[in-house]
Amino acid sequence: MRLVRLIGARFWLLALLLACWQILAARRILDPLFFPPPSKVGETLWAMLASGELGREAGATLARAGAGLLAGVVGGGLVSILLCLSPRLRTAVQPLVSALYSTPRLTMLPMVMLIFGVNEASRMALVAMSVGLVIVIQISDAVRSVSRDYVDLAANYGASRAVIVRKVYLPACLPQIFTALRLCAGRALVMTISIEMLSSNDGIGSMIWASWQTFATEKLYASVMVAALLGLLSGPVFHWLERRFVPWAGGQA
Amino acid sequence: MRLSCSQLRVSFPSSNGSVLALRDLTFGSRDGEFLTFVGPSGCGKTTLLRVLAGLLAPGAGEVERIPGPHDRNCSVLLVSQEHNLFPWMTASANAAFGLEMRGMPRAEREARARELLARLGCAGKERAYPCQLSMGMKQRVAVARCFLSDPAVMLMDEPFAALDCQTRVVLQQEVLDLWEQDRKSVVFVTHDVDEAILLSDRILVLSEGPGTVVAEYEVPSPRPRHALLEMNGELWELKQRILGSLRLAAGMERFACAR
Repeated sequence: MRLVRLIGARFWLLALLLACWQILAARRILDPLFFPPPSKVGETLWAMLASGELGREAGATLARAGAGLLAGVVGGGLVSILLCLSPRLRTAVQPLVSALYSTPRLTMLPMVMLIFGVNEASRMALVAMSVGLVIVIQISDAVRSVSRDYVDLAANYGASRAVIVRKVYLPACLPQIFTALRLCAGRALVMTISIEMLSSNDGIGSMIWASWQTFATEKLYASVMVAALLGLLSGPVFHWLERRFVPWAGGQA
Repeated sequence: MRLSCSQLRVSFPSSNGSVLALRDLTFGSRDGEFLTFVGPSGCGKTTLLRVLAGLLAPGAGEVERIPGPHDRNCSVLLVSQEHNLFPWMTASANAAFGLEMRGMPRAEREARARELLARLGCAGKERAYPCQLSMGMKQRVAVARCFLSDPAVMLMDEPFAALDCQTRVVLQQEVLDLWEQDRKSVVFVTHDVDEAILLSDRILVLSEGPGTVVAEYEVPSPRPRHALLEMNGELWELKQRILGSLRLAAGMERFACAR
């Protein structure tokens, strides 16, 4: 019962909008060629699912985003460790990171393609770079905001430098690292789908662009919905991971 | 272990030059003594304990650590007012942290932590994280960690200041009982004169910042003591004399500033 009420509270507006759209399109107030009714979009979605097309394209997007995310997190993590070890390096790297962060990542696709070629590697590299920047920024910030009190406490009990890193800095940064992962998962999906729209033969993004070019509006709406759904689902997955691995944060994180 | 400090001077940088926190502070603690500093807030009490703990280097003067015959190690451990526990460790892991740093195997150290936590009234809370504990429970865990490590000197920075008054009385009694068993050297800091008289063997009064010792009192009441100790006769007089010194110290500082 509580669940029903919760779902009701969250989705009544969405349901209302869909109903309005359905009625307007069915009465031909909206041109069904431009705005096909949700029932038609649903049918198309079902057909795409049944034929395996949807699974294939969504799988391609998820694989690409996942690989980019993994590469970005590992790369960003390694760079962060280097920056923590050398303050001098950090000072020098800071303006570079800021500059890259404020440049729209998609504008770098052509340059990345000049380096890696028009292939899977350059798509993944761009996703990884996009993710890695966020990781570097978030981890540097997390390390800097570790409370002096905890470091002093461990030092007072005779902890060595290495033990302080392992027992204080690492766990103290975990909540923020998980937040960064959640942000990055969403960002990786957005980047992947955008790149697919520009340069790819498969994936949700490429499907959206192909539908647009052939004016298959039902399929167009269906694919955009799938893109939205993938993004929505990545949030709860990482929330669950966070609660699982950082149980002590007690809702503050 | 005895601590002997001479001419300690500590200053912190500020917007206009530097602020003096401790000024030519000289004192010596005795082996196995419960020594308390009382002083108004901002008199540099916390700074003093950080210097004694070796977490802060004084600008001038020095702290000498003179080992006593009963010391099992030469550590000087600090229990502070807040932010005492690692939020990512359970109560028992926090309490056992000192033992862990000394390399004691997990099963043994957790068993010892459980035992002491149970004595301090924390039974059943061993697996709780600090965010699930009340302020009083947190301070008990911090006290347990300090006692488990069995340091040569314990430094306590107003460990009961953030507690409500009932919890404070209970914790004072628990710490008294624990301490009277073994009589390790303690340097305690508080702004509460009643607390100082209840716990200490000797009381040093600090002036308003920059802190320096302005008066010294011995507490004559016998041990073991009880937290609901009657403040009569001799002790009441002692309390009035200490309050007098505190007022005098504060007043003198204002007079000096006005000039």
